[in-house]
Amino acid sequence: MNQPTDEKRIHTGELNRRDFLKRVGYASAVALAAGGLGLAFYDWKGPAASEGQKALTGLGDYTPRALASGGAKMAIIRGTDRAAMFAQGVKALGGMESFIQKGDRVLLKVNAAFATPASLGATTHPEVLAAVAGLCFKAGAAQVLVTDNPINNPDSCFEITGLAGAARATGARVIAPRAALFSPVSLPGGKLIQNWPVMAGVFQGVTKVIVVSPVKDHQRAGASMTLKNFYGFLGGRRNVFHQDINGIITELALLLKPTLCVLDGTVSMMTNGPTGGSLSDLKDTGTMVVSTDPVAADAVGVELLGRSLADVPYILMAQAAGAGQADYRLLNPVLLDTRA
Amino acid sequence: MARGKTKVGTTQRLVGYGILALLGLIAVWLLVQQSRFNPAVIVAMRAPQLQGRPQVVSGRALTATAALIPEVSGFTFLAPMESYGPENLSDKIDGKAELYLPAGFKEMSCRSFGLGASGGAHVEVFLYDMGLPQNAYAVFSGQRRPGSPGISLTANAYATANALFFTKGRFYVEIVADRASEALQSFLEAYAAALLANLPSEGETKDGAALFPKEGLALDSVRLSATDAFGLEGLNNMLTGEYSLKGGKATAFVTQRDTPEQAQAEARRYLDFLAANGYQKIETPGLPGDIPVLGLDNSFEMVFVQGRTLAGVHDASSLEAALELAAKLETALRGSREPAHR
Repeated sequence: MNQPTDEKRIHTGELNRRDFLKRVGYASAVALAAGGLGLAFYDWKGPAASEGQKALTGLGDYTPRALASGGAKMAIIRGTDRAAMFAQGVKALGGMESFIQKGDRVLLKVNAAFATPASLGATTHPEVLAAVAGLCFKAGAAQVLVTDNPINNPDSCFEITGLAGAARATGARVIAPRAALFSPVSLPGGKLIQNWPVMAGVFQGVTKVIVVSPVKDHQRAGASMTLKNFYGFLGGRRNVFHQDINGIITELALLLKPTLCVLDGTVSMMTNGPTGGSLSDLKDTGTMVVSTDPVAADAVGVELLGRSLADVPYILMAQAAGAGQADYRLLNPVLLDTRA
Repeated sequence: MARGKTKVGTTQRLVGYGILALLGLIAVWLLVQQSRFNPAVIVAMRAPQLQGRPQVVSGRALTATAALIPEVSGFTFLAPMESYGPENLSDKIDGKAELYLPAGFKEMSCRSFGLGASGGAHVEVFLYDMGLPQNAYAVFSGQRRPGSPGISLTANAYATANALFFTKGRFYVEIVADRASEALQSFLEAYAAALLANLPSEGETKDGAALFPKEGLALDSVRLSATDAFGLEGLNNMLTGEYSLKGGKATAFVTQRDTPEQAQAEARRYLDFLAANGYQKIETPGLPGDIPVLGLDNSFEMVFVQGRTLAGVHDASSLEAALELAAKLETALRGSREPAHR
């Protein structure tokens, strides 16, 4: 049987084998490119386990698993140089590598509540943020995120407090709150945190959480330190919780188990908190606490404020709820002095 | 081999266009969906509103204080004016709102300035409208920094190293800088003068310390508690002053009610409150009248009434200090016809 010539096939619209193979080749290349592109963007881990339309039940347990058994869980460091104090404190707990491993995505929860300069002591001091972020990167962290849902305008808060500058200087990234980051959370057994918007979105892909807080007087809560700092994860009209401030802080203590807590009492706000305003509200208390236990850290902070646990009821309430140890001496804290 | 254009049938062309259009629609849909992606989409049912943000309140009533904050040469705006009412004051000052709200807070405006002449200092001005002069005095005195010198700016004014605090009429003002220097202080005072010029002249609250006997009184300890003094609900508008006496430390208190009967009833209520908290009556022969003395451990309380005035001694560290202060206070009140706060 005679094969039609190319010219005839063209005129009749028929394909020859060569054209067919070419077209198949082109189509395959396009399909492979599209597939490859999709593969590049594909999230292998995928989102965390879904509970359908139900609210989250917490923000996660980020306690360090690799911490040597019997090792120190708390260091109390005296001094004035925040970077040196943190470095010595974390070294006493086994070094930053005990908490941060290569490739970790670390979330630093700071107190950026107010758009006031660091000198007024109402927010986490940028020096301690820089110290913590720097050691995270040194230990191999792939990314360090810094977040808070401040009382005031977030951009102003991060900039005026110097926290944004400290983050930029160390390569950390500030995550300001936005609606898409909030999800409903219901704490099992909780009375207050029920279907309440919480900034859960910032935990996406996060493997370690470090809470970095100042030591402050607080008009309503008695004191604002580590546990009160968790308040900055809440969204919505959270001021309604001021009516049961001890209850909400206790529930927040159960919402998140951080990897590490850094309580900076180098300078403490002794009166007129949480905003302060006068430099006379501040006192050089020359102490930093580095601890895996937020309740124990706050128990030390209470002493820096010259108060007792009875003055700050949520600490014992958090202990009773199982969030930590209020008698910090039972943790056999390592006592250090950077000035020695 | 020469090649010509392949003929495409109408049907093929239409199908081709249809596929391209479908791909285009899919691309648009993907872009739209991507822009709406929620990292917490697995649990997000709605996008809840964030905590209230500082905002310029447009309502006329809430911009009254904003209009009073002046522009002063040398002070450059760093941020827009912010105004807050009772419903969102905590969005600005968090838990400290609990100090202002029970004391009759109406509205507050604030603004941040840069002060180039003082090394780029950051200055923030807060103007609170507390409704009444005594309310303004209550929040002023309630936050008074011990040891800070009074200044002549107004009847109730003091300075700290980096800030000025004062009342005028129903207004309470804070002018706060992020650093301390003498030069900066003069700039703050210049700003305060400009602000005071904007504030209406109203009745001033008398100096609360004038009611108390002078000897042993720490002048900067005088406070007006707007509500729930000493933990007793409804014991409102209570002036207190702290003393260091030969016999120890003690706090004097004074408040006034509309009638002598009301003052008597309030005194009984306070005594009942003390008794319910474990205080016991202590026999003290020789006291004038029937002024009761109650004690618990090393804390002593005395309560008496003069006309419409309820007064007494709170948390004296010894019986001697309580008796000494009560005697001085009673004498001082007899010389003073009208307490300033009620």
